[in-house]
Amino acid sequence: MTALLQMQNISKSFYGVKVLDDVSISLSAGEVLALLGENGAGKSTLIKILNGDYQKDGGSVLIDGQPTEITHPRDAEKLGIRMIYQELHYAPELSVAENLVLGHLPRKSGALKWMVDWPKMREMARDVLTLLNVDIDPAAKMGSLTVVEREIVEIVKAVSRQARIVVMDEPTAALTPPEVRQLFGIIENLRSRGVGIIYISHRLDEIKQIAQRVTVLRDGKHVNTLPISEASDENIVQMMVGRKIEDRLHVRALAKQTSFGETALSIRGLSKADAFEDITLDVRRGEIVGLFGLLGAGHVALTRSLFGVERPDSGQILVDGAPVKIISPQHAKRAGIGFVPLDRKVNGLVLGMSVRKNITLSNWDKLAPLGVFSQGKELANTRAWVERLGIRMAGGVEVETRFLSGGNQQKVVLARWLEAGVKVLLLNEPTWGVDVGARSDIYDQLEALAAEGLAILMVSSDIEEVLNVSHRILTIYKGRITGEYSQAEANQEILLQSAAGGAQ
Amino acid sequence: MTTSVREPRRTTPSSRWAWLRGDRLTTINLVLTFVIICAVFATQSQYFLTIENFLNVGRTLGVVGIVAIGMTLVLVTGGVDLSVGSVAALSGVVTSILWTKSGIPLGLAAVLGLLSGTLVGFLNGYLVAVVRINPLITTLASLSIIRGLAFVMSEGQTNQLNNDAFKFLGRGEIAGLPVSLIIMISLYVIFILVMSYTQFGRNLYAIGGSPDASRLAGISVTRHLLIVYTLCGTLAAFGGLIISSQLASSAPRAAVGLEFTVIAATVLGGTSLAGGKGTLIGTLVGVFILRVLDNGLTQTRISSFYQDVVGGLVLLLAVGFDQIRLKLTDKLGGGRK
Repeated sequence: MTALLQMQNISKSFYGVKVLDDVSISLSAGEVLALLGENGAGKSTLIKILNGDYQKDGGSVLIDGQPTEITHPRDAEKLGIRMIYQELHYAPELSVAENLVLGHLPRKSGALKWMVDWPKMREMARDVLTLLNVDIDPAAKMGSLTVVEREIVEIVKAVSRQARIVVMDEPTAALTPPEVRQLFGIIENLRSRGVGIIYISHRLDEIKQIAQRVTVLRDGKHVNTLPISEASDENIVQMMVGRKIEDRLHVRALAKQTSFGETALSIRGLSKADAFEDITLDVRRGEIVGLFGLLGAGHVALTRSLFGVERPDSGQILVDGAPVKIISPQHAKRAGIGFVPLDRKVNGLVLGMSVRKNITLSNWDKLAPLGVFSQGKELANTRAWVERLGIRMAGGVEVETRFLSGGNQQKVVLARWLEAGVKVLLLNEPTWGVDVGARSDIYDQLEALAAEGLAILMVSSDIEEVLNVSHRILTIYKGRITGEYSQAEANQEILLQSAAGGAQ
Repeated sequence: MTTSVREPRRTTPSSRWAWLRGDRLTTINLVLTFVIICAVFATQSQYFLTIENFLNVGRTLGVVGIVAIGMTLVLVTGGVDLSVGSVAALSGVVTSILWTKSGIPLGLAAVLGLLSGTLVGFLNGYLVAVVRINPLITTLASLSIIRGLAFVMSEGQTNQLNNDAFKFLGRGEIAGLPVSLIIMISLYVIFILVMSYTQFGRNLYAIGGSPDASRLAGISVTRHLLIVYTLCGTLAAFGGLIISSQLASSAPRAAVGLEFTVIAATVLGGTSLAGGKGTLIGTLVGVFILRVLDNGLTQTRISSFYQDVVGGLVLLLAVGFDQIRLKLTDKLGGGRK
């Protein structure tokens, strides 16, 4: 049987830098191939070559065993190659049906062929939706759907026009576990109809569920391709990073800490309608408290309220034992609270600004007591943080943050608050979309910062992260704290049960 | 020929040209454009390259240059102010009415005229930052409202503003240089320092780049927007006073279309309408280009109808060229993910 797709000995350079060096992958019909690698490993470039966005320097692409030249995304489209990117592109004010046939609107026949055939369009939309067992109202406005529904519509749209090869780039990055299951149902459906799927993800557990084979790239080279049954997590991670990471993904040995400093952050009976209710908790100096909940449990709204982005209805916030009034982020900052938001690209960073300017952004008390700053001092402080946190970027601190990988972007956000000298740090999903190597790096940094006396409240829906990095874990369900566990007591089962509202 | 090599030779061309990026390259492109335009006119008109002509151009720079400072700041935050022409007219009308009709001393009347612009700017800022009306809509409305108020207050009449001290502002000279030009240059020096060396300036770029991230970094976006629109209104009013001084009168229909010239000069100078990018140096060169173009075209006796056409074309060419360059550098430099 010839493979559906073969990319053989692909090479590509930018500015004389080899980004892909002799990389080969193959994909059969009805197969899910997981494509893994850290940021910069060459996954995106490979995919862009497949889609005709970039031209390969060497190697060949075969479809059904036939050598094929793909020089433009149009060629890829004709060959049945479909890309589903992390950032979805859709028209929020149009209906699901319109989005599905966008660019291919059915017309009436005869003299009225310049008019859209609306009934036909609705019928077409209903057909593809039922074909894939998707229960979404074709008349609903795209903007009113949930993230996973939009993503599913995007997939339906991609495959509705004779798709043969579907590439998904981190499709689950913004999804909750039930939504992931929903997405996997769709993928299984596609598979059963002979579509080949290239699945890019950082989440190893998902890959094990959905993929048949896994290909690992590192530094533009093909490291290995294995059937999923032969790939262990340790094995994969080691192939990805090229060095052994002391098994941090499973049981990360957080230094046993028994004594902490004074209470830095206290929350007393904090409530906000439709978000959270009667939240009382303390975070001590040197302590990392994990707040685990499923998406929508109210923990994100809680940190936003603590930081003054939203206003709680009642309750009290104390920093170092003194009540503080927080009605805006400036108040929170003045009180010594830092905030790492959920979406670093939108809320965390000014992407068009340099690493240096992002780190010193709004941190002027030390740099510029009179409002006028010294560039030398700014540079020195920036460099110190870059070194301390191990922020890696091509081109130094003047490079715009949009060119950094997810992990390094997150470190820049961290550096800003550390530069500000905060006492309490609120973290939201600190390693979303961050690759494995950078993730363990960030965990090490958090631990080190806590050891220096920082109080950290970490909100996460990643259970391994919560288990591995927290000294103490609270679970939240429907806006209420449902459990509190020490590092020793907590395990996956207990936390999941507690965060799903089960018995305590 | 012996030349001493002061710096160690750098190894790769990319590091040698690394400083030639982004804003700097934009500015250099603009200066080159300016030089080319001057060279072309110099071959067409003998009078063009004379000191007298340059002073002539200098006299026309002040108003657009000063108002463009405020516009640059507003555009950097991701907003826009269309009301500057109307505000310029209002300040002249307020000044002359207070002086001639209410008998207030001219100095005080001029200050109040200036403050009328401050007030309009503050209201624009309030509507944009607090009520959160789109800046284009807000200032389009105030463009209309303020122009209307200027007509109402003056009853459509041109008012004399004939006073020697006041005329000094627009027509006076110090050491042979027009006063308005000297004021403009001083303002540029001050605001260039503010934009590059103060927290305030840096924050404006951050707000334009990402208002959400700026807010979550602890910057008061509301306060900064209020200040910027207020400044823009004040500077527009100041430009209006210079116009009145040059004409020795105030007219409600003064400075019609000023917003176009000012936005054109600012955008020509590399400021992005999307916010977060732009320099005052660029704006200054943009103002020079537009003004020299006007002056040169007048001298080459090309019909004044064509002047607007050429002005628009130069704007498109300069900005279009910059866009293509940005696209190329992004594709090459940022292609690797």
